[in-house]
Amino acid sequence: MDSTDASRPDGNAADRPPVRIRLRPLGKTLTSTPGTPMINVLFPEGVEFPCGGRGRCRGCRVRVLEGELPVSPEEQRLLTPDQIGAGWRLACRQRVEGDLTLDLAQWESAVLADESSFHFTPHPGCGIAIDVGTTTLAAQLVDLETGRVLAVRTGLNRQARFGADLMSRLSFAMTSEGASTLASRIRTQLGELIGDLLAAAGGEHAERVKRIVLVGNTAMHHLFGALDPEPLARYPFETPTPGTLEFDTGSLGWKGLPEGCRVVFLPCIGGFVGSDVLAGLLATGFDRRDKPGVFIDLGTNGEIVVGNYSRMVCASTAAGPAFEGARITMGMRASTGAIAEVEARGESWHCRVLGDGEPRGLCGSGLVDAVATGLDLGVILSNGRYADGGDRWTLREPVALHQCDVRELQLAKGAIAAGARTLLKLSGLRAREVSDVYLAGAFGNYLRLDSARRIGLLPFGEDKLHPSGNTALLGAKLSLFSEHPQEACESLRKRIVHFSLGTDPDFQEAYIEEMGFPRKRPPAHREKPKETRRP
Amino acid sequence: MSEWTKLYDAVLNGDADAARTLTEEALAAGAEPQSLVDDHMIPAMDEVGRRFEANDFFVPELLIAARAMKASLEKIRPLLIASGAKPKGRVALGTVKGDLHDIGKNLVAAMLEGGGFEVVDLGVDVAPEKFIEAIESNGVDIVAMSALLTTTMPSMKTTIDAIVAAGARDRVKIMIGGAPITREYAEEIGADAYGDSAASAVAIARKLVAA
Repeated sequence: MDSTDASRPDGNAADRPPVRIRLRPLGKTLTSTPGTPMINVLFPEGVEFPCGGRGRCRGCRVRVLEGELPVSPEEQRLLTPDQIGAGWRLACRQRVEGDLTLDLAQWESAVLADESSFHFTPHPGCGIAIDVGTTTLAAQLVDLETGRVLAVRTGLNRQARFGADLMSRLSFAMTSEGASTLASRIRTQLGELIGDLLAAAGGEHAERVKRIVLVGNTAMHHLFGALDPEPLARYPFETPTPGTLEFDTGSLGWKGLPEGCRVVFLPCIGGFVGSDVLAGLLATGFDRRDKPGVFIDLGTNGEIVVGNYSRMVCASTAAGPAFEGARITMGMRASTGAIAEVEARGESWHCRVLGDGEPRGLCGSGLVDAVATGLDLGVILSNGRYADGGDRWTLREPVALHQCDVRELQLAKGAIAAGARTLLKLSGLRAREVSDVYLAGAFGNYLRLDSARRIGLLPFGEDKLHPSGNTALLGAKLSLFSEHPQEACESLRKRIVHFSLGTDPDFQEAYIEEMGFPRKRPPAHREKPKETRRP
Repeated sequence: MSEWTKLYDAVLNGDADAARTLTEEALAAGAEPQSLVDDHMIPAMDEVGRRFEANDFFVPELLIAARAMKASLEKIRPLLIASGAKPKGRVALGTVKGDLHDIGKNLVAAMLEGGGFEVVDLGVDVAPEKFIEAIESNGVDIVAMSALLTTTMPSMKTTIDAIVAAGARDRVKIMIGGAPITREYAEEIGADAYGDSAASAVAIARKLVAA
C-alpha cells in the first residue's frame, strides 16, 4: 500500500479523505483525519507513551509494515540505523498522513523485552492478565507459547457509581447488600471484558485459556472476593483476609472459557497495599535487585516501597486525587483540551494543549508543570503563596491556576515526598544512596520529571527516575507464565514489611516540611544530555 | 505592652526559638504572664487564623505558628497556674474511634490553646469511653471530635450516643469537624456546633462557653 501525503501542508487536511491505520497484532483498523498526531490515534486504544509523548524514550515505538513515515531527529538519536531501516518509528513523533499498517512493539515487548530481565518459559495455551483499578480496568490476552499479546481491553470500573474514591465505596460496601452488589458488579463487568478480549482476538483462543490472573489494591481484592470490608474502613486498616483468592470460572459466572481454567486474585501486602504493588515489584525486577531502590505508585493512594530483594518496607500515603486533576478548579483528565505541559520561556511561559485545540482545563502533569514554572518565574513563592497576593494565575485563557489548586498540590506532593523520606529513614538510607526509582501508574508516565523535582515531589536525581507505566498489569502478565501464579507473590510478600505512616511522628514532621516547595531548582538537573535509557 | 510586640511577630512567623527567648526575657523583666497571652499571643494566633482564612497561610504556617506559641506557653503556663488564673474553658479533643488522621485535630488543639483554652488532647482513635472518662475526671466544658474518613464519621454519633447514655450530655458542649463533616451532619447527630476549618474553632468554642 502506498501513501505519502506527508509533503502536503496540514491546512487542507479536511479536504483529504480519511486515512486508515491497521494495527497488528490486534487486526483492528482505525480511521482518522490526515495530519492527526499519531499519539491521538493510538492513545485511546490503550497504547502507553512512557515519557509523555516527548520523544525521550522508546516506549511507544511502532513498526511500519505498510505505508511510510518520515524519520525525525529524535528517532535518529534513539533508534539504531538498522531499526529505522526495519521500519521502526516513535509513535509520539509521527502524524498520520496516509494509510498505514503498524506493528505495536509495546504489546509484545512487555514480556518479550529485549532487556534480559523478562525471561519467560513458553507454556502451552493462553492466559489473561487483569489490572483491577479503583477507577480503570485493563486486561490483556497473552499467548503463553510466544509471549505475544493477542488483545487488549480497558474500561472504567462500574463500581465507581457506588463511590468514586475508595473510602466512599467501602462505606457503600458496609451497607446491607453493599458488598454483594459491588462483587457482582465487578464480576459481571470483568466477564464481559474477557468476552470482548476473546472476540477481539478472533475467538479461536477461548479454548486455550489456562488461567486468569487479577491484581488490585486490598479494597479491590476484597470487593471482588465479596470479603468483609469492615477491617479496611477504620484504623488500623489491617485485614485478616489478605491471601490469594482462587475461583473457577463457573462460580464467577464467566462463560465461554474452558473447564479447568483457574482464576487467581493475587494476595495483598498489608493495609491498602495490594497485589498491584506486588506485581509492580515483579515487573520492575525489584524483587531481584541488590542495590537499594524505590518504587512509587503516584495514585490517589500513593504507594511507596523502599529496599532491595531481601527486605522491603512499604506504606501508602493519602496523596488525594490532585495528580489526576481532581479537586483542582479547572482540573480534568489528560484528554483533548487539557494543558499537559507548561514551560518557562524567559519572563513568560508556554502551554502545550493536548489535541492542539483550545485549552479547557489542566491535567495532573500540567498542574505539576504549572507550579514548577510558577516557582521558576517567581509567580509562586516557596510557601505556595502567589507572590502578588492574588488568588489566580491565568495560564492561557480561559484556564487559570487558582491559589487553592497550588494548596491541593502541596498536600499531595507533601504526602508522597514525606512518605518516601520516612521510609528511607526507616531503612537507614539517604536519597542519594538509592540507585533507581520506579514510577508506576499512568501519571508517572506523563509527569515531567524535572518539574516533579522542581516542586520537591521526587528528591532523587533525574537519571535515577524510571517512568514504568502500568507495572501492575505487566507483573500480572509475568505471573501468567507460572502454573501457580501466586507463588512468586507469596514469597515476595514475606520479605515486605508494611508500615503505617499515619501514627509515625517522623512522618507528621516530614509532611509539614515537605508541604513547602524548594526555593531553587535542585542542582544538576540538566547537567548532561537527556537520558535515553529505556524506562 | 507594646514593648513585647516582637513576641507577636515570633508567634505569627512561627519562630519557636525567638518566641521562647522573648517570653523568658519578658518574664524576667517583670511582664505580666496573663497579659503576654492576652495582648500578644492570642492576637497573633487570631491573625494566623485570619491569614489562613484569607488563603495567605497554609497548613505548614499554621502548624509552625502553633509550635512557636506552644514554646512560649510552656514558659508561661506554670506561672498562670501558680497565680490561679482561669482558662477560658477546658476542651477535650481527639479523632474518633477508627480514625487516626490527626493533622486537623492538632491544628484545632493549637488554635484553641492559642485562643486561651486549656486543651486535653486525647489523641487519635479515641473510643467513646475515653471521651466520657475525660468529661468525668477532667471537668471539661467542651468535647471536640474530628474524623477525616466517611467510614469513621459514624463513630461521632456512637460517641454522642454514649455520652447521652452516660448521663453526661448536659454537662458539655460538643463540637465536631473534619473533611467529610457538614453542618447538617452535626445537627443530625446532635452535636452543638460544626467548624469548617481549624481557624474557626476558637470563635466557635468561645461562643459555646459563653452560651
